[in-house]
Amino acid sequence: MYAIFKREFLSYFRSPVGYVAIAIFSFLSGFIFYTQFSEGLVNIGNEVITLRSFFVVIVPIITMGLLAEDKKRGTDILYYTTPVSLFSVVTGKVLAAFALFAIMFINVIIHIIVTICCGGMVGVGAIGTIIVFFFMALTFISIGLFASAITDNQIVSAIVSFIFILIFQILTVIAGYVATAVDSLLTTIGFSTESASAAGSAVKNAISWFDPFAKTQDFRLGVFSVSSLVYLVSLFVLFLYLTYRVLDKKRWSQA
Amino acid sequence: MNKNMTNKPEKKTDDRAGKMKLYSIGSVVLLIAIILLVNILFDRIFGKSLSFDFSDTAQNSVSQATVDYLDSLPADTHIRIVGLFSRPGNVSGTSYQYIIPLLDDYVRESDGKVTVEYVNPTENPSIIYQLDPNNSYDLSSKADSFVVEYNGKIRVISPIDCYMYDEQVYKYYGQYYITGNNTEFTFTNTMFNLTSDYSFKAYIVTGLKEEGNSYLTKILDSMAVETAELPVSANFVIPEDCDLLIINGPNSDISENMYVAMTDYLTGGGKMFVAVDYNLANVSEKYTRLNLLLNQMNINIDPVLISENDPAYQLGSSVDSTVMAADEFADYSNIKYLHSSYARNIRIIENYEAGLYTNPVLLTSQKASLVELDEQGNSVDSDINTENQYNVAACSSGYGNDPAKVYVFGTLNFSSDEYISSYGLSDSNVDFLKSCIRDLSSTKPMTGLNIATKQINNFSLDAQKSTTALSTVILIVFMIAIPVLLVAAAVIVYIKRKNL
Repeated sequence: MYAIFKREFLSYFRSPVGYVAIAIFSFLSGFIFYTQFSEGLVNIGNEVITLRSFFVVIVPIITMGLLAEDKKRGTDILYYTTPVSLFSVVTGKVLAAFALFAIMFINVIIHIIVTICCGGMVGVGAIGTIIVFFFMALTFISIGLFASAITDNQIVSAIVSFIFILIFQILTVIAGYVATAVDSLLTTIGFSTESASAAGSAVKNAISWFDPFAKTQDFRLGVFSVSSLVYLVSLFVLFLYLTYRVLDKKRWSQA
Repeated sequence: MNKNMTNKPEKKTDDRAGKMKLYSIGSVVLLIAIILLVNILFDRIFGKSLSFDFSDTAQNSVSQATVDYLDSLPADTHIRIVGLFSRPGNVSGTSYQYIIPLLDDYVRESDGKVTVEYVNPTENPSIIYQLDPNNSYDLSSKADSFVVEYNGKIRVISPIDCYMYDEQVYKYYGQYYITGNNTEFTFTNTMFNLTSDYSFKAYIVTGLKEEGNSYLTKILDSMAVETAELPVSANFVIPEDCDLLIINGPNSDISENMYVAMTDYLTGGGKMFVAVDYNLANVSEKYTRLNLLLNQMNINIDPVLISENDPAYQLGSSVDSTVMAADEFADYSNIKYLHSSYARNIRIIENYEAGLYTNPVLLTSQKASLVELDEQGNSVDSDINTENQYNVAACSSGYGNDPAKVYVFGTLNFSSDEYISSYGLSDSNVDFLKSCIRDLSSTKPMTGLNIATKQINNFSLDAQKSTTALSTVILIVFMIAIPVLLVAAAVIVYIKRKNL
C-alpha cells in the first residue's frame, strides 16, 4: 500500500495537476484570508468553511486521474496481476489524494500563525471546522475515486465526481424543492393542506438527514458530534467499497 | 458432440460471472443497509450523549441554573416553544446560530417538559390563532420570532432579544454589533416568568426624551416582572394594575397632569423608581415638577454634576468614578463599590417630612464636589464647589403597611441601555438595581434566575499589528506570489515531461 501511496503522491508533482490544485487552493484561501484581514476581523473557522465549499472544484481535479489514467494507459492491469490486494490499491490512492489535501492545508496553517501573531483568535470552533474539513475531504476523495474507477476518461470522471459532490452540497436545497413538490402533489390529489405540508416536511427532513454539511454545522460553534463524523466515515467506507467492487468486477471479467 | 463440448465451458463462465454480479450487488446493498442502520441507531442512541460542547462559556449548552430550574418544575409541565419559521438547514452565520442549538439542549435537559417546534405561519396559518386567539401579540408580523407558551400564556422573543449588542454602534450606525449571547438568560427567565404564579407589573414612562429601556425591560422580565410602556399624553393616567412606576433617563420634566397623577399614585402607596443623569442634553433641566413630586418624599434632584476628587474613587475621570453603597444597602450587590458616571446630586432635603424614612443609597467619597455646567459643557463659576460626601442615589419610604416608596438614582449606570449593553446583565450595578426593584416589590419572591451573559468570541485583530502595509503584504504573498509560483512550477513540469 505504501508503494502505491508513494507512487501516486509523487505523481501529483510529476504532472501539473498537483501544482495547479495547490495554486487554486492557495489563491482561494489567500483571497478569503486577505478579505478578512483587511477588515481587521479574522475567523479561521469561516475561512475553512468557505474553502470546504470549493471541494466541488478541487476534489474532481485531484481525483479524476487516480484510476481513469491507469485505465486509459492500460497500466491498471498491474493491479490485477501483481501480488497486491485491490484494497491496498484503493486505500493507497485515497491516502495519496488526502496527503495532497494536507499539503494544501499548509496555507491555512500559515494563516493561523499570522492571525495569532496579529493578536487574533483561533477558537475551538476553528478547530472543529478543521476536523470536519479533513473528514469531509476524505469522504469526497472517496467519491472522486469511485468516479475515476467507473470510466477511463478523466473528464468524464471529473464531471461525475463534480455532480456527486454538488448533490451533497445542495442536498438541503434539493430537499426543499422535493418537499414543495410533494406538498403540491398531495394538495392537488385532495389531501388537506396541513397533511400535505406535514408530508412535505417529513420528506424534507428525510432528505436533509443525508446532508453532511448540515450534520456538521455545529462544529464551527464548538459543538463536536461524534455521530456526524461516523456518518462521514460511513460515506467514505461506502464509496471505498464501491470502488473496490468496480475494480474487483474488472478483475473477474478479465479472468 | 462437438457442439456440446464447446458450449459447456461457456456456461460455466456465465454462471460464475452471474454469481459475482449477484454477490457484488448484494454486498453493496447489504453495506448500504448496514451503514444506514448503524447511522440511524447511532444518531438516535448516542447522538446526543456523544455530542460535546467545547465552545467557550458553553454557548450551546444550558447552565446548571437552567437545569436546576427545569428539574424543579412538576413532571407534567409542558412549555412549548414555537419558532414562527421553518427550521433553517444551516444556521451558521444567521441570527439563530446560537439560539437553535441551545433550544435543542433545552429539549435534551428538560425531560419532556420543554418542546421546541418550528412552524411557518405561511404554511400553517392556524398556528397564529392557536397561540394567540385574541391576536394580542400580532404574531403574523413576527415571522422571525419565537413564542414561548405555557398554560395559554405566551411571550414573544425575537432573535435580537437573545443578544447583547453595542448600543453606541446601534445608535449611530443602526447596526447590531453583537457583543454577548443572552439566549439562555432570555429563554430561561421567560419560562420562569410564565411558570411562576407571581404577578407584578411595572409601567415605564416614555416620551420624556429618554434614550431607551430595552435592557431595563430585559432585567425586569428576568425577575418575572411584567412590563408595559406608559407614554406621556394629555390624559396621563397611571393604570390601576401598576405595581411600580419607572421613569428612566428623562431629559425633560414631567407635565402638570403627570405630576398630579403621580402625586395621587404616591399618596395611594405607590412605588417609584427614578433614574436621571447629568448630560449635555439635560444640563439646563431642573426637573421642577419631578422635584415637587419627589420633595413629598424628602428627595430633590439637584441640577449639578458630582465631581469625584478622591483618586482612589476615580475611574476614567472625576465624573466616572466608584460610589459606595450605604451600609443599609451594602448587601444589595456582591461588591460594595459600584460604578457611577455623570451623576447628579440626589439631595435629602432638610425640612424632613414627618412619617418618612429617607436614606442615602449610594455615596461618593468625602472629597467630592459639585459642578454646574453650561450648555456647552463648560464649568460655571459658582460657590457650590465645596468638598463633601454627596448622594448618588437615595431611597425614601413611609411607615406602615405597604407605604409609598421611591428610589431615586442620579446616574444612569444602573438602568440605561448604553451602560448595560457595555457591561452586561451580570454586572454588579445590575445586581444592585435588581435588589432595589425587589425591595420596591414589597414581596419576597421575584428572585429571578441568575444566568450570566455568554461572551461571543471576538475575532478582531490587534489594530497596531494588523496594519495596512501588512495587509498589502498578505495580498501579494498569499494571493499572487504563491499561486503564481505554483502555476509556474506546473508549466515547467508540463514542458519537461510532456514528451515522456
